[in-house]
Amino acid sequence: MKITLVKKILADGSPCKKCGEVERKMREAGHFDRMDEVLIADERDPASPGMLLAGELAVDRAPFFVVEERGKPPAVYTVYLKFVKEVLNQKTDEKDELKEILDNNPDLDFL
Amino acid sequence: MTAREIPAGKVPTTEQRLDVLDLDSRLAKQAPQEIIASALEQFDNIAISFSGAEDVVLVDMAWKIDSDIQVFSLDTGRLHAETYQFIDRVRDHYGIQIDVLFPDSAQVQALVREKGLFSFYQDDHKECCGIRKIGPLRNKLLGLDAWITGQRRDQSPGTRAAIPVIQDDRAFARKGETLTKFNPLANWTSSQVWQYIRANNVPYNPLHDRGFISIGCEPCTRPVGPGQHEREGRWWWEEATMKECGLHAVNIERKP
Repeated sequence: MKITLVKKILADGSPCKKCGEVERKMREAGHFDRMDEVLIADERDPASPGMLLAGELAVDRAPFFVVEERGKPPAVYTVYLKFVKEVLNQKTDEKDELKEILDNNPDLDFL
Repeated sequence: MTAREIPAGKVPTTEQRLDVLDLDSRLAKQAPQEIIASALEQFDNIAISFSGAEDVVLVDMAWKIDSDIQVFSLDTGRLHAETYQFIDRVRDHYGIQIDVLFPDSAQVQALVREKGLFSFYQDDHKECCGIRKIGPLRNKLLGLDAWITGQRRDQSPGTRAAIPVIQDDRAFARKGETLTKFNPLANWTSSQVWQYIRANNVPYNPLHDRGFISIGCEPCTRPVGPGQHEREGRWWWEEATMKECGLHAVNIERKP
C-alpha cells in the first residue's frame, strides 16, 4: 500500500491553514510517519505535483490522501478522520468526524 | 459508460470516476427535469434530500417522472412549526412517504447538557449542525448509491460558486464504494425556482411569504430585507470566514 498526502500552498504563497492543522494532528497521533509521499499542490503552479494529481483524480480540495494498492484503483480521501478510520483502522470520535465533514464541505450549509 | 454500469460493491476505476466529469459537462447544459430523469434512470437506490424550503421543486419534478421517488428530510428538532407542517403537506399533496430522519438522542443530550440549548450563538453552528444534521445524513447516505439536492450556485457565491450538476461524493461514500450526488438546480437562479413554483402550483413553505428565503432551523434563520443576500438570513452572527479548502478550479484541469 502506498499513501500520498497532498497539501496546499495558497495563491498568495502562504500555507493552507487546514493542511497545517491536519499535519499537526497527524504528527501528534503518529500518522504522519505512515505517509509514503507528501506532495505540494501549489496554486501558483498548475504543474506542481499536487495540482497535477488533484487534476488527474478530480479532487477539488486539500488536504487529501491517495491510497494505492496493487490491482486496485486509487482511493481518495478528503476527510482526514474518515481516512484514519478506514485506512489506518483507528478509532475516531464521531463528533469530530461530523465537524470535519462540515468544515471541509461548506456547501453542506444548504441543509 | 454511465454510473449505473459501475457494479455495486466494486471500486470504480479512475476512468470510471472521471466519467462523472464527462457526465457533468453533458448534464450541465440540460434542464433540471432532464438531469433528474437521467439520475433516476441511472440509479435505483437514489433519494431526494428535501429541506422543507423551495427545494420542493425537486420533489415536484421527480414525482412527475416517477411517483415512487424516495424523499428524506432531516428533522433537527429545531425547525419552524411551519416547516414541519409543510413537510406533511408535501407528503399529502404528492401521496409520497417522506423519510424523516432524527439525530442521535444521546449526542444531542450530551451537547445540551454540556453547553445548553443555544451553544451555536457562542461557539459556531458547526458542532450543533454536525450532530443534528450531518450525523443523520451520513447514516442515510451510507444506505444509498446516489442522492439529489437542491443546491444552487446563486445561493452562496462563497461556498457554492463551483457546484457541479453531478459529483463524486467522497465525504459520505461507503468504504471502497462510490456515492453520486446530483445537483439539478445548480445552474438555476432563485427567480427560476420561483417561476417554476408559481407556474406549476407547487406548494411552498409559508415562511417564504414572510421574508424568509433560505430556511433552516428556527434559531438560526431569519427573514432578510430588500437587497440582502439570502445567506444573510442564516448564522448571521458568525463572521464570514475564509473558505480556503478548495483548490482553485481554474488551476485544476483534467488530464487528457
